Amino acid sequence: MTHDVLSRRELLARTGCGFGLLALADMLAANEPDRAAHPYAVRAPHHRPRAKRVIFLYMPGGPSHVDLFDPKPRLSAENGQPLPFEKPKLERTKTGNLLASPWKFSKQGESGIEVSELLPQTAFCIDDICVIRSMHADNINHTGAAAQMCTGEQAFSRPSIGSWLTYGLGTENQNLPGFVVVSPAAVFQGAQLWTSSFLPSAYQGTLVRDLKNPVANLDAPAGDLTRQRGKLDALARLNEIHKRDRVIDSQLDARIASFELAFRMQREAPEAFDISRESETTHKLYGTDQPATELFGRQCLLARRLVERGVRFVQLFDAPQNNAWDHHGGLRENLPKRCQAVDQPIAALLTDLKSRGLLEDTLVLWGGEFGRSPTAEGNNGREHHPFGFTMWLAGGGIRGGMVHGATDEYGWHAVQDKVHVHDLHATILHQMGFDHERLTFRHGGRDYRLTDVHGHVVRKILA
Amino acid sequence: MMSERLMSAVCRLRCLGLALAVVVGASADRAFAESDSDFFEKKIRPLLAERCGSCHSAAKGKTRGGLALDTREGWQQGGDSGAAIVPGKPEESLLIRAVRYRDDGPQMPPKEMGGKLAEAEINLLVDWVRRGAPDPRTTAARIGGATLDDARKWWAFQPVRPTTPPIVKESNWPRTDIDRFVLAELEQRGLTHADNADKRMLIRRATFDVTGLPPSPDEIEAFLRDESPGAFEAVVDRLLGSPAYGQRGARHWLDVVRYADFHDGDPKARNPVCEPLEAWRYRDWVVESFNRDLPFDQFLVHQIAGDLLPAPDGKEPNTDGLIATTFLVNGAWDRGDADKEKMVSDMVDDQIDTVGKAFLGLTLGCSRCHDHKFDPVTQSDYYALAGIFYSTRMLKELGTKGGEITLQRRPLVPREVVEKRDQQVKQIAEWNAKLAELDKQSPKPPADDPARLELVAQRDRLQKELPPEPPATLAVSEGGVPGGLFPGIQDVPIHIRGSYTRLGDVVPRRMPSFFAGDRQPPIASGSGRRELAEWVASKENPLTARVIVNRVWQWHFGAGLVRTPNNFGMLSEPPSHPALLDWLAAKFVEDGWSLKRLHRRIMLSATYQLSSKVDGRGLMVEGQKQHGEAAAPSSPSTLNTQPSTTLDPDNRWLGQFTARRLEAEAIRDAMLFVTGKLDPATGGPASDNLAIARRSLYVQTARWDRSNFATLFDAANPDASDEKRNVSTVAPQSLFLLNHPFALDQAQLLADRLIREVPGDTPNVEAARIQLAYHLLFSRPASDEELAIARQVMAQTAEPTAESGWTDLAHVLLCSNEFIYID
Repeated sequence: MTHDVLSRRELLARTGCGFGLLALADMLAANEPDRAAHPYAVRAPHHRPRAKRVIFLYMPGGPSHVDLFDPKPRLSAENGQPLPFEKPKLERTKTGNLLASPWKFSKQGESGIEVSELLPQTAFCIDDICVIRSMHADNINHTGAAAQMCTGEQAFSRPSIGSWLTYGLGTENQNLPGFVVVSPAAVFQGAQLWTSSFLPSAYQGTLVRDLKNPVANLDAPAGDLTRQRGKLDALARLNEIHKRDRVIDSQLDARIASFELAFRMQREAPEAFDISRESETTHKLYGTDQPATELFGRQCLLARRLVERGVRFVQLFDAPQNNAWDHHGGLRENLPKRCQAVDQPIAALLTDLKSRGLLEDTLVLWGGEFGRSPTAEGNNGREHHPFGFTMWLAGGGIRGGMVHGATDEYGWHAVQDKVHVHDLHATILHQMGFDHERLTFRHGGRDYRLTDVHGHVVRKILA
Repeated sequence: MMSERLMSAVCRLRCLGLALAVVVGASADRAFAESDSDFFEKKIRPLLAERCGSCHSAAKGKTRGGLALDTREGWQQGGDSGAAIVPGKPEESLLIRAVRYRDDGPQMPPKEMGGKLAEAEINLLVDWVRRGAPDPRTTAARIGGATLDDARKWWAFQPVRPTTPPIVKESNWPRTDIDRFVLAELEQRGLTHADNADKRMLIRRATFDVTGLPPSPDEIEAFLRDESPGAFEAVVDRLLGSPAYGQRGARHWLDVVRYADFHDGDPKARNPVCEPLEAWRYRDWVVESFNRDLPFDQFLVHQIAGDLLPAPDGKEPNTDGLIATTFLVNGAWDRGDADKEKMVSDMVDDQIDTVGKAFLGLTLGCSRCHDHKFDPVTQSDYYALAGIFYSTRMLKELGTKGGEITLQRRPLVPREVVEKRDQQVKQIAEWNAKLAELDKQSPKPPADDPARLELVAQRDRLQKELPPEPPATLAVSEGGVPGGLFPGIQDVPIHIRGSYTRLGDVVPRRMPSFFAGDRQPPIASGSGRRELAEWVASKENPLTARVIVNRVWQWHFGAGLVRTPNNFGMLSEPPSHPALLDWLAAKFVEDGWSLKRLHRRIMLSATYQLSSKVDGRGLMVEGQKQHGEAAAPSSPSTLNTQPSTTLDPDNRWLGQFTARRLEAEAIRDAMLFVTGKLDPATGGPASDNLAIARRSLYVQTARWDRSNFATLFDAANPDASDEKRNVSTVAPQSLFLLNHPFALDQAQLLADRLIREVPGDTPNVEAARIQLAYHLLFSRPASDEELAIARQVMAQTAEPTAESGWTDLAHVLLCSNEFIYID
């Protein structure tokens, strides 16, 4: 990336006379001070992007694909019989025989894609959705699989997708964080899922736990902004004196600016995060007026307000508690509850984005770290299942109303047009304007990228 | 006398030892007939290029299955399944089997790449292999990612050279030999140096550098009064002798070793089995080691193999040695992985990676899946080291698939004490079982049954005597993880593509062959960790001393002479001052690997004591002068006045001191220091409470929590070795300082101190308090202009009580750039 904003001194340096090419190259390579001073400045990607922002609807624990988006008649027909082939060696706990989905599927929309009766409202938007039924991942534990889904790597710390994108693109609203994570409850390994890792920490996700108090330290003491303004004016004058004979002026300037920015954030951020400013109709649409849908409804509504104001990446965790979608048992009772909690809010988000003209350049993703086993755990549960599962995408230049890929007849292995997590990542970056092989960061002796040495853009799903 | 032939044979043997893994291609080195060459060029080369080249070309960077067919070495070395061709034997050659589409192996080219070759093409290949696969496409002998020649020429892999300080023109400037090295480079580039820092700037810089705290007004005063030539030396010695030095040095080191106190930031949610609850003992040992100047070679041997060192007092266990090996165990494992074998292989990888980066400046971890792409490290080298760590136990047990990781803890008391206690615990359990047994009888014996009473009394007596559980530390021991794929002490096979599910040839445990050369230490018994530690710590190792000297340089100057301190490999940028780096490394080893003497040597140089400011006269360069001769610095008017900051914006040539922002910990500690509230207590478990008044070293680093003060100000990422901190400037930092209760409390406490220490009846009390604040925070008096601004702050306060005015002023000063930028 060589299109950083030039600082005053570097501009002078570069336009000064008598440099050899070598010296110039050295200076271009030494761009970090600029990035440090303006980490969020808008930067151009590699090619014309189809999406400008991302909303990742993350269902921690692993939603069951065979009960929601991937109907399997053979699973119903052979309910209670053993899986007719050997299970993979990678297994946590032994599962039993095939377990038919207790729920009905029906064709939806003009595309006629089959969706479970548990998601009637999402089904209503199916013609805007691309269902990838052939996802697969490498890890069978939440921690490793979630890390892979969010950072591309199972075991070691790597920057998350949102961090890569804010690093690559900057953000469009300097008064708001560029990458916001909303997770009402703590999830396993916490910040490792939105970490900037070895990228500068400016690019890590800003965690919002409490929707009522979203961004830390926004309240001026005693709410007295006039008094604070007075202090900031004095501070600016003292900082100007300090700067007079000092060399590192771009860093000092940046810090002076950061106080002014902080002051503006105090005014703007509360407005951005304040969903009470939305109309009653909108609240009804998102279901924030109903206990079942209130929490995720608020999250989705917040996501829309944030992307509307230029936030680059919003990741929502459906987390009334940790691993809410981890249905080892109680599948029949609890999966409907989770679906009810997210179905209307998600449909509302898609509808709302569309009516505001935002859906076409906002990429919406839905899914968890893996799916769930077609075989039963106990008599009313399903085990973790990374071998074949479903995620869906909408907006952001993705073809709606299509199914991509397939699992086998039992929903066990992804078999057709397989999409690995790395491929999904490559595709997200592609839609955001990046060649995933070229968005890199030099660290510890080599260039790292989100997709490591893997990943193919899933071209068949691009509009 | 040795005959010539014998000598040459010995020589050759040595070379072989030196380059164990080098592909020399001896068998294919035979001269081949012209017709062979023609045959290859006309028939085989085009065929390989057209039908195989898109997936198997090293030049294109596409080597599917690890196989390259565009060089001779490519097929000789082969891919994941071994050599692709056995010259002369088509039937045994994998390549031939593949192109024949045999059912029992890969079928190449695959269908999507055009499918099976024509029969005539297959026959050509068979014919070629039968002829002995003549292939003139020689490349230079390689080891890992480098040619042997290039690797031998790479500066960092050569022995530290004895260097002598160069002659300089401005001979009256240098104070120490360091300055001669620096000045020579400046003069060669036509750059000049800045003036000396003034004494206030210098003591502020030195105090933050060595202790992470500001100087007190008294210390500044004493230094200003001391006009002796040794005044600064005395300051440096005082600072290096203060306990705060170890706390500061430890924080630097903890970044390098990916130290964390916990995974989970929430104390209530922590799972003691997989949390590194005892990691603080390691942190305290590091502090202590810095403070008593434990020689760096021993410091590193302790961390790799401390459990194998005898206790210095002869009384087992060697507690320091055990604690030091926490280094190997305190990685980002979280709760582990269901795939336990993968988990262990990841742990081994983290250990190799961290040892490589922290001590050797080598990215050894890059060779896990394939030979290193740039450095002379092969995958065999990696698994030779992996064998050492697989033979080391860091887990209590392998665990079950759904279960969590169980870090190994080792007691810090003698074995007899542990055994005695274990015996007592067992005894109590037995008696309890007996009691339960009695109570199950029917009829149940009466409560006052004498036998039962006796048993209860015995049990209670022992229970009372039972000492508390002995203190323990995270530590390793010899022997692998029981129940794992490689339990016990053993060599391990190459993991093809880094996966334990595909194993190749077993590699004997040893040091990386290029680097160890013919000085491979024999591993007689044990895992080999001891030998590894000693090999890394040896004077002959060209990397170890250079790497630590470069880190210490970075701690003082903000950037190392090599700017990638974790990577001295062939893709890194060479040092700006190679001769200086070698000179420092040699002196360091001569000094007995003493870090304190190294700090002292660096800080007493004129280079360290340069100003960071552009002044009216200085920082000028020769500019457009044609011949580059240095002008006398005393005649500035003759010079083109272009600041060297323009020609050297990164200050690589050290013509000035680079001002820099304090690290997260130092910012917080400085706030506590200036309010007078800093609690000097040392050691012990970390707190989750930011509001405590202890140094930030004792506020927890938790891997799962990135929403904390330290992270906000760019603290190291504790998941992997961190060579250098970022300096980012973002609005949430300012929001913290403006609005967070901690910041507001410090403002209040500072105001209280000003009011307390300058009583109201002091003449000119307002100015006196402002001056005290400036001395405390900025190590200098306030100017008239600044006094005026300060007075305005107080005048404009909403509620003009004296206290709130002082609090606002204190707050403004704590937020100022001058407070957290060090000149």
